[in-house]
Amino acid sequence: MLLSRRLLLVAGKGGTGKSTIAAALALLAAREDKRVLCIEVDAKGDLSHQLGADPPGFQPRVVQPNISVLQLKVEDSLQEYLHIYFKVPRLARMTPLARVFDFVATGVPGAKDMLVIGKIAYEEKRREANGSPMWDMIIVDAAATGEVLPQLRAARAMLELVRGGIIRGQVEWIDAMLTDPTRTLLTICALPEEMPVVEAIELHDRARAETKIGVGACFLNRMMPVSLSPREEHLTERLAGDGERTALARQLGGDPRPVAEGALLAQRFHHNGLEHARRLRAGMSVPLIEVPLLVAPRPGLATTRAVAAALEGAAA
Amino acid sequence: MSVRGNGRSNLAASLGEHEVVICVGAGGVGKTTVSAALAMAIAAEHDKRVMVITVDPARRLATALGLHRMTVDPVIVPADRLRRAGVPPRDQLVAAMIDTKSTWDRLVERNAPDRRTAARILANPFYQGISGAFTGSHEFIAMETLYELHHAGEYDCLVVDTPPSRSALDFLEAPTRFSDFVGGRLLSWLARPSLFGWRAMNFAAAPFLRMADRLLGADLLEDLASFVADIQRLYGGVQKRAADVYSLLRSYRTAFTVVTTLEPAPFAEAEFFSSKLREFSMPMRALVVNRVLPPALLDEEGAAAASTMIAEPAAAEWLADALDERVARDAPRHIAEAYMVLHRLAQGHARQVSRLSRLGRAPAIQLPQASRDVSDIDSLAMLAQHLRGRGEQ
Repeated sequence: MLLSRRLLLVAGKGGTGKSTIAAALALLAAREDKRVLCIEVDAKGDLSHQLGADPPGFQPRVVQPNISVLQLKVEDSLQEYLHIYFKVPRLARMTPLARVFDFVATGVPGAKDMLVIGKIAYEEKRREANGSPMWDMIIVDAAATGEVLPQLRAARAMLELVRGGIIRGQVEWIDAMLTDPTRTLLTICALPEEMPVVEAIELHDRARAETKIGVGACFLNRMMPVSLSPREEHLTERLAGDGERTALARQLGGDPRPVAEGALLAQRFHHNGLEHARRLRAGMSVPLIEVPLLVAPRPGLATTRAVAAALEGAAA
Repeated sequence: MSVRGNGRSNLAASLGEHEVVICVGAGGVGKTTVSAALAMAIAAEHDKRVMVITVDPARRLATALGLHRMTVDPVIVPADRLRRAGVPPRDQLVAAMIDTKSTWDRLVERNAPDRRTAARILANPFYQGISGAFTGSHEFIAMETLYELHHAGEYDCLVVDTPPSRSALDFLEAPTRFSDFVGGRLLSWLARPSLFGWRAMNFAAAPFLRMADRLLGADLLEDLASFVADIQRLYGGVQKRAADVYSLLRSYRTAFTVVTTLEPAPFAEAEFFSSKLREFSMPMRALVVNRVLPPALLDEEGAAAASTMIAEPAAAEWLADALDERVARDAPRHIAEAYMVLHRLAQGHARQVSRLSRLGRAPAIQLPQASRDVSDIDSLAMLAQHLRGRGEQ
C-alpha cells in the first residue's frame, strides 16, 4: 500500500537506517516499473551509496534502472526557484542578489523549510513533453526528526503569512498535495532501542497533532532475525552452565560454551526487540513493519537488496 | 599502535583533570549515555563539582539518570542513589539541559549596545527565524551555554553532550559562523543606510526590490532591514566571544572525547571528526568505543563448534548425551544460528578495531554492549565503572 503513493517521506532519528529503507523502497517500486526519484535532504550521500552510486548533485541522476537520485540543498533550491520564476541566471557562486534572498530565506520563519518542501513538490509536478508525470513516485530520505516537522508545517505556516501574490498560489497546491493521504504518506524509522522508539512515537504524535499529513507505517529496523523456542533456550542455558563438556567439545570440534553464550545474548536482543515492537504498536496507530538485522561488511547495494527482499509484501 | 585500547585505562581519572569535557560523535552511538556515565565516573573519581549538560529536547538524560523531570534549572543527582549504585560522588553531580531560547535572549541582551536595541531585536518577528534557522545554531548555542557555565565557574568540571550534528564542521565552526553571519558584508549592505534610503539611492537594487515586493510584500522587507541594522550592533561582542570560545576549546582546560560504535557508518564519522579536531588544533584526549560485543563471540573453538552444530546430523544426539536430556533434531542448528548472527556482527566489528589507530593518539576504552537499554542509574553506573577502568570483562 505504501508503493501506490506519489510521495513517500522516510523520517526518523539519525542512525535508524532511513537511507537504507528509502533505497529499498525505491528498488521495490522500480521493480514494479515505476520511475522513481529519490531525494536526499541535506545529507551526505548515504542514499546514493545504498543504491551503489556516488553522491549526485542537485540535478537528478540515474543510479539504477528506473531510479534517479538528487541531493536537495537549500541554497541550490533557492537558485533554481529564482531561475524558474524570475529568470535570475543560475551561477556557480551565489551573487549578492541571491545572497540577499538567502538572508531573507533565513530570516523569514519557515522560508528554508518551504524551499525544501517546495523543491520536492516541484519535482512531483514535473511533466514530460507529452504531459505524463516525469516521476511515478518520489521517495524522500528526510532530515533528522527535529527538522522534518517544520518542513511539513512550512506550507501551512506560509499560507498564514502570505496573503497574495505568486507564492500564495504555489503554496496552496503544495499544502493540498501534502495533506492528501492518497498521494502523500510519512513513514517513520526506529531501532529496537529506547531513544529511537521514544522519538518515533513522538514524531508520530506530533505529525498527527501539528500537521495534516498521513502517517503510513513505522519501520522497526535491525530486529534479531532468529530466536530460540523455550525448550531450546533451556538447553542453551544448560550448555552455557558449568559442567564437564570435554567429550562434547571433542565431538563438535570446539568448546560449545561460547556458542551457547552467544545464542543467549542473541535471544536477549530478540526479546528486547519484541518489547520495543510492542511499545511501538501500542503507541502508534499505523502498521509496524519489522526489518531484520542484516550483517554486511559495509552498507551498499547488497544490503539494500536484502532489505528490499525483507520488505517485499509488507510495503507493496 | 597509538590508541591504547585494552579497556583498562581510567579515563575518568585523566579526563577529570580538565575543566571541560566535550563528547562528540555520530548520532545514535550513545553519546548522551556515555556523557552521563562519564560525568558519574568523574564525580566518583575526583573531589569536584561535576555537571553534565545535554542538548537534546527529547529529555533523554532525564530518563537515563532516572530523574522524574528535567527543568531548565540544573538538577542535583541524589548522592544516596549514586552511592547505592556503587559510584558515590566525592563532591556533587549535577545534570542540566540546554535552554536554546533563553540562551539566545541572553546573548542579545549582553551584546546589544543599549536596552532599547535589545528590546527591539527580541520583539522582531525575524529574530525567532534567525536564531532557530542559521546553519549550526544548535551547535552555537551548545558552545555558548558551555562558555557561560565555564565562565561562571560554579562547577569544576563540565561534561557536554553535543547535538547530533549533520557534520562535525557544524559544531566546530559554529562560533565563527555566527560572528561571520552578523558581521558579514551582506548584512552591512542590507543595513545601510536604511531601507528607505536604500530604496531611493541604490538604483541597482531596484529589480531586486520589485522582486522581493512581489514575493513577500514591502512591509516584510522593511521589518527585515531594521532588524538587520539592529543585529549588526551585536557584532563586536559576538566576535570577541567567538575568539574566547575558541581559546577555551584549544586550551588544556578542554578535552574532546570522541564516542563511536564499531558499526561502519558511525566509525567513518568518528574518523572524520578526529581529523577535523586535529585541523582545528583541538586535540582528541580520549576515545570511547561504545557497545562492544563480548570477545567470546570471536572465539575460534566456538566458531568451529557452531559450524558442526549446523552441519552435523548427529549433533542432537551428542548434546542429548552430554546434557542427559531430550534434544530435538533441529535444536543444535537453531542454537548455532542464533550465535552465528552475533558472531558475524562481531567479526565486522573486529575489522573496525584494527582501524582504531587511524583515529589518532589518545587513550581508548571499550564499553560492553548491554543486552538491554541503558536507561537506569544502575546500568549507567556499570558503564561509569568501566570508564574508571574497573569494569568486569
